[in-house]
Amino acid sequence: MAAVKETVQAVAELEKYEHGFVTDIEQEFAPKGLNADIVRFISAKKNEPEWMLEWRLAAFERWLAMDEPDWAKVSFPKIDYQDAYYYAAPSKKEGPKSLDEVDPELLETYKKLGIPLKEQEVLAGVQGAPKYAVDAVFDSVSVVTTFKKELAAVGVIFCSMSEAIREHPELVRQYLGSVVPVSDNYFACLNSAVFSDGSFVYIPPGVRCPMELSTYFRINAAESGQFERTLIIADKGAYCSYLEGCTAPQRDENQLHAAVVELVILEDAEIKYSTVQNWYPGDPVTGKGGIYNFVTKRADCREDRAKVSWTQVETGSAITWKYPSCVLRGNDSSGEFYSIAVTNGHQQADTGTKMIHLGANTKSRIISKGISAGKSSNTYRGLVSAHPKAKGARNFTQCDSLLIGKDCAAHTVPYIEARNGQSVFEHEATTTRLSEDQLFYCRQRGLDTESAVALLVNGFVRDVLQELPMEFAVEAQKLVAISLEGSVG
Amino acid sequence: MSLAKAIETGDLTQLPSRRDEDWRWTDLRGLLRELPKRGASTGVPTEGPFAALGGDVWLYVDGRKPANDAAVAALASEDVIQLRFVATAGGAANASQGLLVEPGANVVLLESYEAPADQAVTSVELKIYVAEGASLERIVIVDDRAESVTVSQADVTLAPGASYAQTILTTGARRQRIETRVAHPGEGATVRLDGAYLLREQRHADLTTTVTHSGLDGQTSELTKGVVHDQARGVFQGRIVVEKGADQTDARMGHHALILSDKAEVDAKPELLIFADDVQCAHGNTVGALDENALFYARQRGIPLEEARALLTTAFVGEVVDRIQHEGAREVAAAWVAKQLGQAQ
Repeated sequence: MAAVKETVQAVAELEKYEHGFVTDIEQEFAPKGLNADIVRFISAKKNEPEWMLEWRLAAFERWLAMDEPDWAKVSFPKIDYQDAYYYAAPSKKEGPKSLDEVDPELLETYKKLGIPLKEQEVLAGVQGAPKYAVDAVFDSVSVVTTFKKELAAVGVIFCSMSEAIREHPELVRQYLGSVVPVSDNYFACLNSAVFSDGSFVYIPPGVRCPMELSTYFRINAAESGQFERTLIIADKGAYCSYLEGCTAPQRDENQLHAAVVELVILEDAEIKYSTVQNWYPGDPVTGKGGIYNFVTKRADCREDRAKVSWTQVETGSAITWKYPSCVLRGNDSSGEFYSIAVTNGHQQADTGTKMIHLGANTKSRIISKGISAGKSSNTYRGLVSAHPKAKGARNFTQCDSLLIGKDCAAHTVPYIEARNGQSVFEHEATTTRLSEDQLFYCRQRGLDTESAVALLVNGFVRDVLQELPMEFAVEAQKLVAISLEGSVG
Repeated sequence: MSLAKAIETGDLTQLPSRRDEDWRWTDLRGLLRELPKRGASTGVPTEGPFAALGGDVWLYVDGRKPANDAAVAALASEDVIQLRFVATAGGAANASQGLLVEPGANVVLLESYEAPADQAVTSVELKIYVAEGASLERIVIVDDRAESVTVSQADVTLAPGASYAQTILTTGARRQRIETRVAHPGEGATVRLDGAYLLREQRHADLTTTVTHSGLDGQTSELTKGVVHDQARGVFQGRIVVEKGADQTDARMGHHALILSDKAEVDAKPELLIFADDVQCAHGNTVGALDENALFYARQRGIPLEEARALLTTAFVGEVVDRIQHEGAREVAAAWVAKQLGQAQ
């Protein structure tokens, strides 16, 4: 019950979006707009080798020829790609070696982030702090990377993408774009051309990563869309758990966020990827502002018995449009997708997953919980497909939607494509509203409506919360409650 | 954009293609490079599948309407009507018919698609209106040739308190789509949409339904089953829309398919689009092979493998047949299904 109490407090305390603040740090901008010169500028700024620049330019060329997709159940004014900045970096002297050199205002920003940055202690170098390796992306450039030594001792590479391009070009060249090809989709292609930075992780064969790896993304500069690029490679028999959490300052202009996350999982390896996303959802009454979150996330279980698990808690963003996917190529490989998507106010979410069964005896499981309140719209869209060679493929899908209020919408759009006679696919979906009886029961026992809703909703999403690492689960539970603030009564 | 339009104008760019979301698994533009030429008539079979059940028979031969028939026919009291769409000469044909079930009437519509001729491309459009307090049960048997291309689209509008039930049974064709769109006003109206596709060889069948609930207190129940052999391909697309204000809607949809060969394919898209909060909506979808344990059980008791398979498959499809209200039609349907499933043995 402690957590519930905390939730109630959090609801009371938070009248406005908690992380709606702006940090003033001297920014270094690329000029507004997008053309080949901007791509060159970004590449030059990051001291990238020639092959990387060529890769970017080729992507840009292809992007010019592509059309923006419009099939999702989301609507937004047309994005003017020429009216945004594609590069912004906190100015730095030498590249901070220690935290003392880090801009104090930056540290202050971390402080404001509150609970999710327990790791701030780690960043601040406190003795005996819990062991999290944090690669903080502050706008576009990774400012500080900790625990490198300890990770290096077991051979784990955990660094920013820019650094990886310089230090480990052979790995980057081998794997970058091998899961999400350059021209996979419009936004992934844009990302390939202008990606700013992101995380790079390589876990060598047989190594179990000694700590949870985590990155906090933060969109800071106004109108500077962020284009992270994350690449995680788990070599044979390796294991790693990666946490991604996001907050963003309050802004009026819509901001585009088009990240690409690629996971490569080799024989017997496993990656667990958890996301908590609470970017600014826009003004709850007018729907103005808010982040556009158009992300391409894909895991490739490239060899036998590889395993991937996606867990996401999506409470923020004006528009969420993403489908973390699993390509189950290796025999006996397995993919899991656990999702909570909460929409309130004028938020729109079109999210789900794809499970592509290519290898024999591949297994997948999808648990999706959608909650819509206010005037929001929440869509689960998922694909489960089995190739003729995927004998013995097995999938179980469960999507439940909860509706709170008269003006919201919840949609379920699953696609099932079975192409062989030895696979078994099961799918079930339900859509209901919050039970009046249960609400009444709670209120009768003295809970006010909002805490009753929080309690019931937390019960509804429990299956997914259980999949999150402990510290994320607590945070996520609060987020869900905060997001639904004011949705009943 | 439709097959009917393409036949009417001869303009094949009017055909829906894979790039159209609602036709992604039933590509017509890629299939039909030209419309087939009309051949010599093979003659109309004397009896349709529902011949034993009596009632008025309306015959549509190669798209031609029966003589003296109105664009919208009114059906009253306890009518049994047989609609037979017969392709006798190949070629492309369009047929359309409007039906009005008058207030309080209870009508049984027995519809059959017959194709004595090879290479027929047929489009049928039905507009059905079921008035207040009336009920209509529609049972459709689609008996196409392996080379046929058939698209049948029924637009059904219900008045408050009306009830509509349908069962579609098909063995598929080269490409085939049987589509039903129901405008559901709620207010005590009920809808049952069932279907079964039993496919062999390289046949394709697409059962698509859309039910739009626009008023309070509507009920919909859908059950579709599929059995696919060989290299056949079954498609199910079910969409339930609950519009704003259509509270207390209770809508359920089930689609279950058996894939009985390694090269067969089943594609399904059961959709729920909900814009109201006080609703109960659910769908279930399963695709798989016959239960090994059940097969083992049957064989253990001395039933040969093939027979055990037929037994389990018939029981699987039987659930759909059993939901047919009209007794005569149910018997005809059960016999027809048994015959189709028995073919392999």
